[in-house]
Amino acid sequence: MHLFLLGVSHRTAPIDLRERLDFSSRDLSAAAEAIAARPSMSESVVLSTCNRSEIYVASSDPAIAREELVAFLSDYHHVAAQLFQPHLFALENSAAVAHLFRVAAGLDSLVVGEPQILGQVKDAYQVAAAKRCVGPVLSNVFRWSFGVGKRVRSETALGEGAVSVSFAAVALARKIFGRLQARRVLVVGAGDISSLTAQHLRAQGVGDIVITSRTLAHAEALAHDVGGLAVPWDGMMNALGSADIVITATGSQRPIITRAQLVAAQGHRRSTPLFIIDIAVPRDVDPSVGEIEQVFLYNVDDLQSIVEENLSRRAAEVEHAESIVNDEVTKFMAWQRSRSAVPTIVALRQRFEAIRVSELQRLENKLGVLPPDARARVDDVTRLIVEKLLIEPTEQLKGLPDEETQAAYTEAINRLFKLQQDEEPLDFSRGKRSDPSKRP
Amino acid sequence: MNTLPLVLYAAAGIVYAIHFARRDSTTGRAATTLLLLGALVHTFVIGMQTMEVHHVPFANPSRAVSTFVWLLTLSYLYLELTTDERSMGVFILPVVIGLQVIPAIYPGTEYADPVLDSPWFWVHVSSLLFAYASFGLAGVLGLIYMLQFKEIKKKHLGYFYTRLPSLQILDVMNSRAVAVGWLFLTVGVIVGVVWTAEARAIAPNDPNLRAMSLDDPKIFIALLTWAVYSFAMFARRTLAWSGRRAARLSAIGFGFVMLNFLLINYFVTTSHSFY
Repeated sequence: MHLFLLGVSHRTAPIDLRERLDFSSRDLSAAAEAIAARPSMSESVVLSTCNRSEIYVASSDPAIAREELVAFLSDYHHVAAQLFQPHLFALENSAAVAHLFRVAAGLDSLVVGEPQILGQVKDAYQVAAAKRCVGPVLSNVFRWSFGVGKRVRSETALGEGAVSVSFAAVALARKIFGRLQARRVLVVGAGDISSLTAQHLRAQGVGDIVITSRTLAHAEALAHDVGGLAVPWDGMMNALGSADIVITATGSQRPIITRAQLVAAQGHRRSTPLFIIDIAVPRDVDPSVGEIEQVFLYNVDDLQSIVEENLSRRAAEVEHAESIVNDEVTKFMAWQRSRSAVPTIVALRQRFEAIRVSELQRLENKLGVLPPDARARVDDVTRLIVEKLLIEPTEQLKGLPDEETQAAYTEAINRLFKLQQDEEPLDFSRGKRSDPSKRP
Repeated sequence: MNTLPLVLYAAAGIVYAIHFARRDSTTGRAATTLLLLGALVHTFVIGMQTMEVHHVPFANPSRAVSTFVWLLTLSYLYLELTTDERSMGVFILPVVIGLQVIPAIYPGTEYADPVLDSPWFWVHVSSLLFAYASFGLAGVLGLIYMLQFKEIKKKHLGYFYTRLPSLQILDVMNSRAVAVGWLFLTVGVIVGVVWTAEARAIAPNDPNLRAMSLDDPKIFIALLTWAVYSFAMFARRTLAWSGRRAARLSAIGFGFVMLNFLLINYFVTTSHSFY
């Protein structure tokens, strides 16, 4: 049985094609079921995010699996196969394992180290598992990948530091205020980044969000989006007095908040921290406002430089994370090999046991005269001899260094002892890529 | 006897430093376990000394330092276990280790002066040691606050920014530690005055008791410390001081505490040398 992966990602396909091949979260289980029901594939997990649509299957024949999956994608999404085939990438066995581990670790993401992907991998697996679409091949490799994702997060700084201006602002707010639950936010001017930041802050559970804009309709539209309250422009100073976090993003050519205005607006609240995020260019807040003791003033350049610093810090961690992934792939493959030796070991044991039992039966006439205690002793001794004979071969088979040696040993043992195995061993041996040019 | 806790504290200090750099939970748990073990052994040491002299050992300055270290460690462990915040350990442990060196090198002997055989005296010293432990925590929290504040204010988000808790949490913990410390300091000072009056009636010629006045540096600095922390409480509540100023004040206050507890206690005081 082979592990086979077919998919498109931000590395191989443009966004319009990825959109057409995307599976919505409601479709995932039906798609996984439809794939696993095909004769050439026994297990399947569908992983679909905005940057990738990947189908992992267990198949006895990857070449047929590939053909069937292409046909499935074409039928399911009503897209002609020749449109997306050049953008597909396909991986088998150890290469597919390595890919899944890199995905779970966030190494294959558009923004390296982004935290959502591990949860998405888990969800994809659980959806498939709930529909009984996973078996020994996929459940082992997916469960192992969760551990890899977790290990990379705990042992490297790959996922650390915000890598967008709006997340950097939210991260700063959390370092200033701790929990954001009861905090009041004032948004001055409704633009894209201010809207995004307000949405992130809302997701963190901030208290009230008050929005003001020179055009009240704009404020009202944003208030509707983020669940805030729109106030007229002349109510800004009043709202400033009670705000903990202020986001400014107007098109004004002059500062709209000066030091004197802020001091007047804050009054007795001047001892409480105030975090001002000035996204506007030219700036909305006079830089001297930042000199007030409890005011933390960040403009768009400040946030951008934090983002760049975090990105370069993440890039420095990539090598470490890759080495963890490689280490885990090696460990997983070794574990997989020891598991694939199991059928041979079982067959060997059965063979020895059969010989033992048949010899005892052959001697039954002579042994029958023995008292029951002595008879049981003979049984024990013969069983012990078989056990002892098998200990070393079992250990050796489980610990073989590579697939070729293992195949050779298995073959030799099968011949030497005339073994017949019912179960087809899991074969993760050849990690070939069907189209290496599609992956960087 | 004080060496074993010192060794365990030092080991915990090293592991806390590794945890601070690496931030993995396994090292963090190892650090806490070592510190708990150190505190447990220290409890045993203090228990043995208590059985030996029939009271908690703190009339001798070295033993008082040991008891203070023990209380500081317990207070820190309480803080860590209730907030699940381990990054402060690397700042507290140097204070713990540095001070524990004193009783480890100069163990001192506890001399049971009959004058001290009063419940007032034990309430006086235990309250003050507990107050000092709280101020120790507040001082270190203040220092951490200033580090974090500086990085955020200067927009230089570096090594400490990611590792330290939020300003708000540090501020709240600092404020609570100062309040608890102030309460115990106040009780300790009042009980001290009551005890002195009582003891003077019993032993009018005791040189220590005769020296109990504002002229004695230990008493003077103690009252100054009380004034500093009283102002810190007042400034926070009435002048609406918060954040960095309060943090700085609590660090300065702890400077006074250490001055009094170490330098003056060992070398200068004339009123508090019952050993």
